Amino acid sequence: MAGRRIAALLLSSLVLSGCVSTRQVADLQFSPPQGDYRLLVLRPDVEVGSVGVGGVTQPRADWTDQARANLVAALRAQQAGRGGTMLVAERRSGVPGVSADEVADVERLQNAVTISVALHRYLGYPLPTKRHRGLDYTLGDEAVQFGRKTGFDYALFLHAEDSFADNKRVALQVLGIAGCFVGFCAPNGGGGGQLAYASLVDLRTGKMVWFNVLTAGSQVAGTKMGDIRSPDGATQMVERLMGRMKPGKAVRAAERSR
Amino acid sequence: MKRVPAFAALALLLAGCAGQELGPGYALVRQGRTVAVANGSMLVTAPHEWNRSQRSILDIRWVEDWTLNGPYLDGISFVAGLPDGKTIVRQSKRDDRQVPRFRATMTAPEIASLLETAYRARGGSVEYRTLALAPRAFAGAPGFQLDFEHLDGDELWRKGRAVGAVVGGRLYMVVLDGARSHYFAAAMPDFEAMVESARIR
Amino acid sequence: MSRRALLGGLGAAAVGAGTSAPARIPPSSLHPLIGRGYRPTETDEIGLWQQLGRVEEEVAGSNLLIRDPGLNAYLKELIGKVGGPAARDMRIYLVHVADFNAAMFPTGFAIVFSGLLLRMRDEAQLAGVIAHESSHFLLRHQIRQWRDLKRKSDIFSVLAMAAGVAGGAAGIYTGNMTQLAQLATVLSLFRYSRQLEAEADALGLKLIAEAGYSPMAMSDTWLQLIGEIEASAAQRRKRPDRGYSIFATHPAPADRMIDLKLSAAELTVPGKRYDSGRERYLREIAAIRPMLLDDQVRLNDPGASLYVIDALARDGWNGLLRYYEGEVLRLQGGPLRTDRAALSYAAAVAYPDAPADAWRWHGTMELKAGRPAAGRAALQRYLAMTPAAPEAPFVRQMIATAGGEM
Repeated sequence: MAGRRIAALLLSSLVLSGCVSTRQVADLQFSPPQGDYRLLVLRPDVEVGSVGVGGVTQPRADWTDQARANLVAALRAQQAGRGGTMLVAERRSGVPGVSADEVADVERLQNAVTISVALHRYLGYPLPTKRHRGLDYTLGDEAVQFGRKTGFDYALFLHAEDSFADNKRVALQVLGIAGCFVGFCAPNGGGGGQLAYASLVDLRTGKMVWFNVLTAGSQVAGTKMGDIRSPDGATQMVERLMGRMKPGKAVRAAERSR
Repeated sequence: MKRVPAFAALALLLAGCAGQELGPGYALVRQGRTVAVANGSMLVTAPHEWNRSQRSILDIRWVEDWTLNGPYLDGISFVAGLPDGKTIVRQSKRDDRQVPRFRATMTAPEIASLLETAYRARGGSVEYRTLALAPRAFAGAPGFQLDFEHLDGDELWRKGRAVGAVVGGRLYMVVLDGARSHYFAAAMPDFEAMVESARIR
Repeated sequence: MSRRALLGGLGAAAVGAGTSAPARIPPSSLHPLIGRGYRPTETDEIGLWQQLGRVEEEVAGSNLLIRDPGLNAYLKELIGKVGGPAARDMRIYLVHVADFNAAMFPTGFAIVFSGLLLRMRDEAQLAGVIAHESSHFLLRHQIRQWRDLKRKSDIFSVLAMAAGVAGGAAGIYTGNMTQLAQLATVLSLFRYSRQLEAEADALGLKLIAEAGYSPMAMSDTWLQLIGEIEASAAQRRKRPDRGYSIFATHPAPADRMIDLKLSAAELTVPGKRYDSGRERYLREIAAIRPMLLDDQVRLNDPGASLYVIDALARDGWNGLLRYYEGEVLRLQGGPLRTDRAALSYAAAVAYPDAPADAWRWHGTMELKAGRPAAGRAALQRYLAMTPAAPEAPFVRQMIATAGGEM
């Protein structure tokens, strides 16, 4: 649930035009999972609301439930297409082989790493030692132990949010109000829109191997982003976020030289 | 930016809005290079590449922060020649909660207590444990080594080690602070090498 | 910050300016709007509940909670006594944060900061705070206020709400309880509804009176809170709560105190002997009280810390309180305060319950004052009490070199 704050951070790094934009960073040695792999999706964080007058987003339980179900289904289909099997853990207690506390510890470290990636890879505070080194972040031995105990090869962390404007709302868009607090959030200050980010941790090495951010203004004239409340829209988001996973630079260089 | 030994990031967490407070960015410290840190009164040699936080007008001139993976995960703070009556962070006299001033007459337990207050009052640590306080020479002077760990507002346990001494009434100290899981231990060899290399001039 | 948040309803200022103080609400005029097993039926509230359900899940799994089973059972029992008809639906989480604060969320879960437990002198006072928070839920304040605001489409109100949150873009951010409590305050009060605070006070009074506590307990708590804020501000030579100027320009706290006292008088049964539950309360928090004191004192907010220590010492000084008085003074620093700290440590070790650290600091101060024999003896006493303490190696060196330089 710290996801929202990270989302707000990431958002400021991307241009908020109506365009769909993604920006991914990968470990130098990363090759997208293929074949017989086991993926754990840890508590996917999905949220859909309506933007009302005043620019505050009001959560909609029914839309959120729909979107979450659609996204999970789309993700499952996509991963199956690559040969992977996938478990979605909705709760910390739902991961086989480890206690809820162990899951929580991995999540907490993952959260701090994600904030660091947001700051130093996306927000303009680059660390010179990481120049030309790809993503270059790890969850260390804790993640390796976690993988060993649970039997998963990868852990995926996913946050997705979308909002839809009330008609009344449009006139107020110009004010660009960004207020965001419990229950009522409008980090994009526009007339609704999508934001999603995902990170993949290789549980065999502990490294965070891939990170991607997706934004799209769904209500802006001229662009049409899928409505994640529908199966098609959810598939589109999953495809845009996860479908074009690029291998790491070192891997690509090796491929080219072959 | 609020400069507290390696927990600048925690102040950011508390502020609820990172980014704007991070300051002017980082410069590269090259491997093997001997660097004059903070106000230049202490020299250390970096065993590997490090990121050195660039100075801004908001900084305390006797304190400088380095990091490997960013201040949320790890960091080393150098305190070089902090004089009597000064603090390790910039703070307003009107802040309700204040990091104590350093005093030339302070003993190691008092310096340890000062650091604890910095983590609690400024870093927002909700738990803080002293793990060990023992004598240790630093830069050729009789000093101390403090080991500690703290649980912060972001639910992450972090661990730290401070090695320092009071020389000529001024505080010289190097503080490592990092996530207890992986990052603290990963930075420890470099920290120890830098502590051993530290010289006062 | 959170002391201010707790007073949020009074502090109001920004948007509600210009409206006069509401008349006192007689407790008898208020009744809970929800009963047992309440569930939302309308879209906006359902959405809110879903989201807060996830927030609560995070809170329940947080490692910032104090998990002591006895203490948690006690809090649960207490909310069961003063939570009105929905008492059994309410959940209460004890968070390890030194601030003076408690917050109720619109779905019926409350978070109580450990700093609150430090400051309560008896069970009646704690019951009063919990009853006040429960009343926000029983009167459905959050959702009513939210709808009211939406109906008015008041753009400035929305901006004020946003401004009330640190940074304005905090998000659901449960990693940080201090901030979360602040968000709860914003959510429930929107910072300017003195009316709602007055309602919660009135219903809260009724609830504790029905549970058999003295209704005066609530005004005692407010008196302490105001006293602490003033003491803290005076120490830093500033007006209390400057940003919101509650005290300088607003008669609200005084008004609120008067209202609380008048209403309490209405509900007090003449001749009845009220049990404040003091013994029981002290027994329940005994195990964590040193930790609670430690948490507060190490924030180095000397005005507030000394106020709290003095308030607790009204029931008698002991070694623990004298030791922490010394710590407050020592952290403040400067020669004068250091001398006074030394006196406190010396006084502390005269009590049989003096903690080992009182001996350590007493010894350190003796050494610094040039009395090596007394210093060594005190430090040896410390080592005898806690030979395995993390500081022991350094203390041994201090003993060995006593008389010379550190």
